[in-house]
Amino acid sequence: MTPLTFDNFCLTRGSMHIRNISFALEERETFAILGRTGAGKTLLLESAAGFYAPEGGKVLLYGSPVQDIPLTERRIGFVYQDHALFPHMSVEANIAYGLRVRHAPRDEQKNRTRDIASMLGIEHVLKSYPQTLSGGEKQRVALARALVLRPRLLLLDEPFSSLDPATKKKLYDEVRTIPQKFDCAVLFVTHDFREAQMLASRIGIMDHGNMLCIRRSEDLFARSNHAGLNAFLGLEDNA
Amino acid sequence: MKLKMSLFDGASLFIAFLTIIFLTAAIGTIIVGGLPFLAEALRSKEVLFSIRLSLVTSTLSTLLCFVVGIPCAYALARCRMPLRSLCRLVLELPLSLPYLVLGLCLLMMFSSGAGKMLRDFGIRVIFEPAGIVMAQWLVNIPFVIRLMRTALEELDGRLEFIAGTLGASRWQRFCTITLPLCRNSILMAAILTWSRAVGEFGATLMLVGVTRMKTETLPASIYLNISTGDNGMAMASAIILLALSGTALLLSTLLRRRTASRMEGALRP
Repeated sequence: MTPLTFDNFCLTRGSMHIRNISFALEERETFAILGRTGAGKTLLLESAAGFYAPEGGKVLLYGSPVQDIPLTERRIGFVYQDHALFPHMSVEANIAYGLRVRHAPRDEQKNRTRDIASMLGIEHVLKSYPQTLSGGEKQRVALARALVLRPRLLLLDEPFSSLDPATKKKLYDEVRTIPQKFDCAVLFVTHDFREAQMLASRIGIMDHGNMLCIRRSEDLFARSNHAGLNAFLGLEDNA
Repeated sequence: MKLKMSLFDGASLFIAFLTIIFLTAAIGTIIVGGLPFLAEALRSKEVLFSIRLSLVTSTLSTLLCFVVGIPCAYALARCRMPLRSLCRLVLELPLSLPYLVLGLCLLMMFSSGAGKMLRDFGIRVIFEPAGIVMAQWLVNIPFVIRLMRTALEELDGRLEFIAGTLGASRWQRFCTITLPLCRNSILMAAILTWSRAVGEFGATLMLVGVTRMKTETLPASIYLNISTGDNGMAMASAIILLALSGTALLLSTLLRRRTASRMEGALRP
């Protein structure tokens, strides 16, 4: 079944109007939403998680309207650009949070937290608090916290924007393996063309709340009849 | 070194210093006048009774304020509430009412048929120490709701949302994310509320009057002593009240500083 479907989705928040967005994610697919700052990408991502109710159209999570599924049962992992880690909890408590509130046995909490931390290379910071971590470590902790529950859908909001190139490269490698390792689809938002091409199989390009096109990543720079799209992709005809 | 100052800065400093001198003189008069009587006051059964009654009633009313105030603030800040603006107005209206009026409201309410029915069930408020708790509660509840609502509204709602996606129920989110992150705000509000309750007099006077060794709180003791011309004991009681309020203010300032430095650490990239 399709993990996530946007069907003629419309939403207005402040001056941002998202209009008639339609696309669907396939099982274990990584899909990138590419666009400038203020294109409505984060709003779309939050709508996929059910943060906002659609004003028109539908958002379906495995065939059911996302708003109809209780938040605790949606099985989505969400990683914000600024990580949104719980500042009053240690890294270990952050990662184990989902297991703890679901009353998993203590041994299971400990083992699964250690396993995911070791997979993402953050065992050495398990006792630390989020304020003391580097940007890359915070990013890994946020990923670990989302992945430890094995979500069906992982939503990433500009996950690499605040990282240095070396850390980015390491994290790219890790994120690329997530859909197969964790059997989940990934929807992520970025303004970085290279990042979108490297990680996603398909890319949706957004501008001012509209989805201009959806392309396979290898065709990202194909010229189209849409002048705005060509301009965004840097394909203006200077002749 | 030549100190350069604009006329506006100079005028502001002048007014500030004048105010400081006035306040110091006012408080200083009480301290100088009351100090010789302080030892006697601290041995007096009546003053000790009033200290004990003030501490007990203000602690109880502060606890009650938070038991009621936190859910009210949560409802205003987080829940879909019908007629939210009107509800907020009603819940926070007592902030702008004179305390005498609040006391009068309680007096009329507990003198009515329903109040008499409560009395038959053993809930006695008028002219009873329980009325002091009730009066302090009514004076402070809108203050607690306002402080807690602001704290909740300033809290990053995404953290609760993330906790929800991880499987936490509303109650679990409230206990594990919201409350711990508001902990310092709650402590600060509790200290200020307690301090206001210790000094409350207007509403209490209306509801329970001032009866020696029965409803005699510290402010009531000052009032009684002044009424009988015992200014020395009145000023000594005022020093005790000042010490309690000053300690509360100091604690609240220290907490605020600790919160500010923590926030700075958390926001550092």
